[in-house]
Amino acid sequence: MAVCIAVIAKENYPLYIRSVPVQNELKFHYTVHTSLDVVEEKISAVGKAMADQRELYLGLLYPTEDYKVYGYVTNSKVKFVIVADSSNTSLRDNEIRSMFRKLHNSFTDVMCNPFYNPGDTIQSKAFDSMVSAMMVQAS
Amino acid sequence: MSIPDYMQCAEDHQTVLVVVQPVGIVPEDEFFRIYKRITSVAQVSIRDSQRNLYIRYRHHYLPENNEWGDFQTHRKVVGLISVTTCGSAKEWPQTSDRFHCQKDVFGATLYDSRLLVFGLQGEIAEQQRTDVAFYPSYDDCPDVEKRVEDFVESIFIVLESKRLDRATDKSGDKIPLLCVPFEKKDFVGLDTDSRHYKKRCQGRMRKHVGDLCLQAGMLQDALVHYHMAVELLRSVNDFLWLGAALEGLCSASVIFHYPGGTAGKASGREPSLAHGQGQAADAGKRHRPGALTANGISADTSSEIGRAKNCLGPEDIIEKYKEAISYYGKYKNAGVIELEACVKAVRVLAIQKRAMEASEFLQNAVYINLGQLSEEEKIQRYSILSELYHLIGFHRKSAFFKRVAAMQCVAPTIPEPGWRACYKLLLETLSGYSLCLDPKDFSKGSHRGWAAVQVRLLHELVYASRRMGNPGLSVRHLSFLLQTMLDLLSDQEKKEVTQSLENYTSKCPGGMEVLTLPDGLKLPPVPLSKLPIVRSVKLLDLPVSLRPHKQKGLLENNMSSKSPFIYSPIIMHTRGEERTKKIEFRWVQGDVCEVQLMVYNPMPFELRVEHMGLLTSGVEFEALPAALSLPAESGLYPVTLVGVPRTAGNINISGYHTSVFGVTSDCLLDGLPSVRTSGCVVEVIPSLPRLQLSTSLPRPFSSRLSSSVSVQLFNGETQQLTITLENIGSEDLETLEVTSKTCNTKEKLFGEFLSWDLEEAVSQLPLKPGQSVTLTVNVKVRLDFSGGENLLQDLNDDGISVTGLPISSPLRQVLKPRAETKPLGSESSKTDYNHVKTLEAVMTFKYSGGAGKMEGYYRDLSLGVHVDVEPSVFFTRVSTLPATRTRQCHLLLDVFNSTEHELMVSANNNQDLVLHPSECQRMAIQVAKFDFHTLPQPDQEAVRYTNPKLLEEERLHAQASMISSTLGSLSVSLSLSLSLCSSSLDVVVNGKPCDCDIIADCKVGDAVPLEVKLTNRSKNAVGPFALTVVPFQDYQNGVQNYDLQDAVTFIGSNTFYIDMVKPTENSACMGALLFLYTGDFYLNIKFQDDSAGQGKELPPSWFGLPSVHIKALEAPIEAGA
Repeated sequence: MAVCIAVIAKENYPLYIRSVPVQNELKFHYTVHTSLDVVEEKISAVGKAMADQRELYLGLLYPTEDYKVYGYVTNSKVKFVIVADSSNTSLRDNEIRSMFRKLHNSFTDVMCNPFYNPGDTIQSKAFDSMVSAMMVQAS
Repeated sequence: MSIPDYMQCAEDHQTVLVVVQPVGIVPEDEFFRIYKRITSVAQVSIRDSQRNLYIRYRHHYLPENNEWGDFQTHRKVVGLISVTTCGSAKEWPQTSDRFHCQKDVFGATLYDSRLLVFGLQGEIAEQQRTDVAFYPSYDDCPDVEKRVEDFVESIFIVLESKRLDRATDKSGDKIPLLCVPFEKKDFVGLDTDSRHYKKRCQGRMRKHVGDLCLQAGMLQDALVHYHMAVELLRSVNDFLWLGAALEGLCSASVIFHYPGGTAGKASGREPSLAHGQGQAADAGKRHRPGALTANGISADTSSEIGRAKNCLGPEDIIEKYKEAISYYGKYKNAGVIELEACVKAVRVLAIQKRAMEASEFLQNAVYINLGQLSEEEKIQRYSILSELYHLIGFHRKSAFFKRVAAMQCVAPTIPEPGWRACYKLLLETLSGYSLCLDPKDFSKGSHRGWAAVQVRLLHELVYASRRMGNPGLSVRHLSFLLQTMLDLLSDQEKKEVTQSLENYTSKCPGGMEVLTLPDGLKLPPVPLSKLPIVRSVKLLDLPVSLRPHKQKGLLENNMSSKSPFIYSPIIMHTRGEERTKKIEFRWVQGDVCEVQLMVYNPMPFELRVEHMGLLTSGVEFEALPAALSLPAESGLYPVTLVGVPRTAGNINISGYHTSVFGVTSDCLLDGLPSVRTSGCVVEVIPSLPRLQLSTSLPRPFSSRLSSSVSVQLFNGETQQLTITLENIGSEDLETLEVTSKTCNTKEKLFGEFLSWDLEEAVSQLPLKPGQSVTLTVNVKVRLDFSGGENLLQDLNDDGISVTGLPISSPLRQVLKPRAETKPLGSESSKTDYNHVKTLEAVMTFKYSGGAGKMEGYYRDLSLGVHVDVEPSVFFTRVSTLPATRTRQCHLLLDVFNSTEHELMVSANNNQDLVLHPSECQRMAIQVAKFDFHTLPQPDQEAVRYTNPKLLEEERLHAQASMISSTLGSLSVSLSLSLSLCSSSLDVVVNGKPCDCDIIADCKVGDAVPLEVKLTNRSKNAVGPFALTVVPFQDYQNGVQNYDLQDAVTFIGSNTFYIDMVKPTENSACMGALLFLYTGDFYLNIKFQDDSAGQGKELPPSWFGLPSVHIKALEAPIEAGA
């Protein structure tokens, strides 16, 4: 499903970024990095209205020729970005949502680890395997 | 139309386009100076109306674009101003022709034109023409602006007439069909009479009139016309023109809503304000000439009618823009129009702060295909995208496109890659990737950011700057990359980066200066503080021998405190004080001082660090750089940096200097919070002399002292130690003191261990640098190897030696069985005697001189003296025998040779005694008795003998024997005590003092006077005594005959009473003897202490009781026989 999954800290630096195919990783870095503009814009737009009842899922951030970029922001302003192949038309919004939810749960588990320092890059194996599972489905 | 004008904005729709062009040869800078003056007339207020005319100037315009002038009139070139140089009147016709040629290029659309001629001096050959102006030079043309204004007014007149012409034209049945260039062929053969066609013509014309109204400053009219056009065109599905009508509507509304303009500051519009003929002050009114002014008075009657309903709201504007763009999108050839519309819409949205929708427009714009774009156009397009993204606050996206533009500058298809432009664009992307080229921002904590992207960008910067031909920049960027991203690079990358860094630095070594780019950007220096990483900095004290000490007394003055309180619990601590904390010890000017750094190499290969030195402040400091090579991934590695302070004062070690891979860096400790340090400020005191010590003896081992000598001596041996002190410093040595201290106090040491005479050395002071002075020290060892008090115990227990038995010959003593058992005893305890004893002493040389002495500093130089003392000979038993004379006695010494050598013992006057290893022999030495009181020996040694009786013992120090052994000449000083009488008795027989060896002669029948004199040598009074003289005969076979009543008779009593004798006094008793027979007689004198009243016999040891030997001879007749 996903070709790239990224977790971005509140201060907009990556905590975790993983992509398939590996050889063109930098491209995804650029994609995710630029998508943050949209994420920030969306957050600030929503933030003015109702901060409490904000929908965590931001929806499609922007489509590129080959990929669709989806965003999700936790209440602590940690961002999840999923890049999906545009050719995969079967992918529905609900599926993306459930992927984000899974990602969020797994991220919460990471944060619950007393040995994890918030702000460090995520090196959890459990998180990694969960992300792999989401990406494997695609291939 | 293929080249979009990305700078367009909505309000450009109300402008008229004027092209300003040079004709012939015009210097570029002069042209642009004139162009600038012309463009300052961007807005002209038309006389007799409240309308304004806006002019857009272009110095370059494609005639191709001009063909779209009917579609949107602001694309139509309506005016032409030519600038030309004309040196002489002769050239004028030619110039004029050129001007006409140029006019023909835009001829179809031009309303009017002007020619500005510069340089033509003197009279003008031709008659005055309105469209030509002559100026003597580019500097002398004061009325250019005025002329341009006149020109603009003339354009307005044409425009107004055209507007009126077209607006009233609606009744006419034949309306021409306006069309865009690519449409022309489509309409060939179309039925021109159809209702559909007519409507199309009407709609298009309505739209065209709208454009003209807008240009002529009649905003409300324009809105009305646009609305009508939209309705007309919608009905005939003429989408391209419908889009244009919608866009016109949007533009007019934008102009109405946003009088400030949408182009932002980037546009050239703002500066023109100042030249707006003084009316620019009311900026709010300026852009709304047709709109309702504040006072409601408007020349334009239509302005009030339907103003509200015709004008689009902000939301609608965007909606209509979307619609227009979607219509444009249907036509491939209208790509530029669509793109420009997108750009305009984005600018409007940027004003409305609706970034999300703006980004959608931009996203759309990205996909607009303009066919084959040239590389330059691509660059322009990406740059403008980047700029627009920046405008709506999408900095990352902006950076992304800027980077793409930069990459486009150097695309492989471009024959001459623009590395300079590429580099410039790349620099502009830095902020988008939250990268700052100042390494200080990275010193705090670990790196956080888009490392992969940033590393890539830095690599690109490095590459671009290298291709630009500026290796200095490459080095700076590479150092930055290495410094800030080190943790994020893989081993392979580290290797590559350092290799390329080395390549670059071979051309241009990296330094610490700030690089300033032509556009003013400053690249701060990048100290490579991670190559190697320094963990701690520790200032080292000088070596012990070189440490300066403050003279006592002066020290107190230094203890000044900032606080008036002696003690305060409030510690005025601020962070970072540890760094500036002063260190206890001091450095000395002119001496090599050391700082220890703990470093490690984070690189996966060997790191060569060159010219590693210290950075200091406060004191002139000569750093002596070091080169080091750290193994790959080394652990902590100590590095000592040295330097010489050249002046006195407080020195602050502020950092260190390195040169790695050709990059020199000054790493300041302030910028390195991870470095631990125990203080960096140390006091440097004025210079002191320096002494080097060398000795005549070898130094066998290193010790905690700066130097030491070790020597092995036999007990009692004396050796001379020559110490040479050389002044190796640069100051004169002025004072020198020598002291010594014995470390090992367990051993009882006799005599002085070290002795010297300093006088001679001191007389040579002051000692100039390079000179030396020698000092001779005698090392003398006298130790007690006997094992404490055993020897003395022996002495006291052994009754034989002191009983005063009448065994006068020492030889007989030797024969006694006891003497034979002695060697056995010593054999068993031989191990005890054999162990080596150690004596240690420290000689301290205190010296000073030079400027340091003035300040009260001195230096200590210590020399450790280590002596291993081997036992030589010792006396296992010491005893005394009364000699034949009472004034002398025999000292009996059992001499034991504990060495492994054969040795020879010689006493003062005795014959030599040869001793084999581990042999014990007794030797006797005749010594004179000492008077107790004449000995200067202090009594304290005697205190050990607790027995009060023994307190009266006399200590005898006898330089007993000279011992010569096979090893050489040894001087053994023997210390022993002899127990002698506290009082002595002198017996005078016949007027002659009588001693053991002396035989007093007397005649039978004569009375022999006998005087017994008691001399008290003790400190206490003795007596009273009873003294009994008993004569006896010794048969020399052990039988003593005391029964001599008939042979000897006393004249008077044989018992004397002596009263108390006070110390040092004496008392004498007189008596007489009468010998009746000849023979050898002895007199035994017995004492009885009378004071106790019971007549206790005193031990003879109290007195050196002489045995008086008297030979009674026959009468002289017999004697003669």
